[in-house]
Amino acid sequence: MSRLPGPFLALLLVALLLPLVPLATWSVAHGWRFPDLLPRDWSLDAWAYALSPTAGVLRGLGLTAAIAGAATAGSLVIGLPAGRALGLYRFRGRAAVEILVLAPVLTPGIAAVFGLHALFLPLGLTNTVAGVALAHLIPVLPYTILVLSGVFAGYDTRAEYQARSLGASPFQVLRHVTWPAIRPGVIVAALFAFLVSWSQYLLTLVIGGGRVQTLPLQLFAFAGAGRADVTGAIAVVYVLPGILVLVLTSRRLTGRSAALAGFGR
Amino acid sequence: MKIRAAAAATCVVLALAGAARADTADGDALIGRDWDAIVETARGGEVNFFLWGGSDTINRYVSDYLGGVLAEEYDITLNRVGLTDTVEAVNIVNGEVEAGVTDAGSVDLVWINGENFRTMRQGDLAWCGYTATLPNDALVDWSNPAVANDFGVPVDGCEVPWNRAQFAFAHDSATLPEPPRDMGALLDWIRANPGQFTYPAPPDFNGSVFVRHVFYHVAGGADRLLGPFDQALYDEIAPQVWTLLNDLEPSLWREGRTYPTAITQLDQMFANGEVAFTFNYDPAQFGLAVDAGIYPDSVRSYGLTDGTIGNTNYTLIPVNSPNKAAALVLQNLILSAEAQLEKARPEVWGATPGIEISRAAPGIREAFADLPSHPSVVPYDELAAAALPELQAEWIAAIEAGWIENVGR
Repeated sequence: MSRLPGPFLALLLVALLLPLVPLATWSVAHGWRFPDLLPRDWSLDAWAYALSPTAGVLRGLGLTAAIAGAATAGSLVIGLPAGRALGLYRFRGRAAVEILVLAPVLTPGIAAVFGLHALFLPLGLTNTVAGVALAHLIPVLPYTILVLSGVFAGYDTRAEYQARSLGASPFQVLRHVTWPAIRPGVIVAALFAFLVSWSQYLLTLVIGGGRVQTLPLQLFAFAGAGRADVTGAIAVVYVLPGILVLVLTSRRLTGRSAALAGFGR
Repeated sequence: MKIRAAAAATCVVLALAGAARADTADGDALIGRDWDAIVETARGGEVNFFLWGGSDTINRYVSDYLGGVLAEEYDITLNRVGLTDTVEAVNIVNGEVEAGVTDAGSVDLVWINGENFRTMRQGDLAWCGYTATLPNDALVDWSNPAVANDFGVPVDGCEVPWNRAQFAFAHDSATLPEPPRDMGALLDWIRANPGQFTYPAPPDFNGSVFVRHVFYHVAGGADRLLGPFDQALYDEIAPQVWTLLNDLEPSLWREGRTYPTAITQLDQMFANGEVAFTFNYDPAQFGLAVDAGIYPDSVRSYGLTDGTIGNTNYTLIPVNSPNKAAALVLQNLILSAEAQLEKARPEVWGATPGIEISRAAPGIREAFADLPSHPSVVPYDELAAAALPELQAEWIAAIEAGWIENVGR
């Protein structure tokens, strides 16, 4: 369980931050046209708009984070037992379950989203934040379960029996044996879950009926209109939390990515 | 026990959902009612206004100005829902109505025209017959066919005008001081200056209207094409148009091998000097783009001497809107001379009013006359001197399909 080597981490950070440079520049540019290397003028207008209550970007930031947080929590609640079962046990129909789990990744979202809308409507889940968070579980779960089953594939349950035989309570086993062993993988799974939810557009638009204005919706409205300045400002607000989460958790990531283990044995 | 708990929970959810509807979904109960009574019904409610959200100045006008007046004078909360494309709102309403949600939809008002209006009319998704209930309806000139018809589809009291717009071309006066002024001259200019012109591929809204201008040019004017779709006439003119446009391809940007997919792409290429022209159905966009620093200050716009196509855009209340009273109050506010004046200010939006200014109060008329014009936006009166009507939707659909089949591929 070694940390990422320093130079590699530095390279990763540069690769992550480099695309932000033009975005950040656009957000303060006034008149940046070919073939000018730098904008002719600078302006904080785009930021003034992006941070104004009219734009609702800050509200959108909180909302996007809340939905991604809820989707992450929900996906872990479902993904931990599912991942444990898929990673540890051979059982009849496991291949079918794996395909079912991966199905949302294999089918294009647009094929399912309108049917889902019809399903959610009579339940009163459309146009609600809760409905959007629930819908986000669909694209999020395959990643969570895939990562967690990989984690459990490399996990030896005999350590749990050993702790039990030495007198540990089930809770103590969970806290001192299971959790430390799976923690890095759970963090990776949570990161995946958070970022997949963070980037949802179509599901949010349709299930939220446009009423749940997350950052991707606000971003697309301006990107689609060719407003690079406002798009840049919203994009910086949109990208920074993801990078922040990655930087904060990179300490806990290990060199051997559990995510690469797949469904395991 | 479990079942009873679930039933109780369902009841609570249903009750909550029911309480959330400040129910003015029954539009017929509002039509013809005393206006003050409608305002009182709407007071304290909310209205969800769905509209294209890609302009900070338009968003500000809607959220701050319209939302501010609604909150202050009527205690109504305006939720502005920004869209990338109006069809998203049409799909939402369509999905809801198909699923049987006939009185609790999510859209109370939508900014719309053309194809999307036709879809909503054909699907019975628009609430109709209420416009005379609005006091400010008196400011609308319904005798003008360009207002009473939305891309050839009769409005029939199903929507209320917001802006007038007319197609115009933009050029950079610093690099091209004297642009070609009619369609024939423009086509000659394109052939003489290869690589400097292109148009977005239909069905892009603006690319499609450019192709219709070529259609009018080949047909020798708009008059023959007006009215219902005529297959024989189409078969006579369309092949000539496709030949003309195909022969033009070597002179287009990238020799016509590819076309921009959206007007924003053409705008970007124009901003970078890759092409000499862009165009738009709403010339106010040129002024907004200059103010946002996207275009240089030297950009100017103009219409063609043989005319450009004009249209009106509207606001529409979907049939399943649960807040029809509040939507009516908002529509009446949108139609007011004061709100139309605010919207016409170049720094706010610069949009051409959808109402008849001559019917407004004298003070407002003077204020309209005194409005400064944006140097990059061709004055509406100048454009309107050579205005062409829009074709009926069946014509437009046929031309778009024909272009894709014969030119685009």
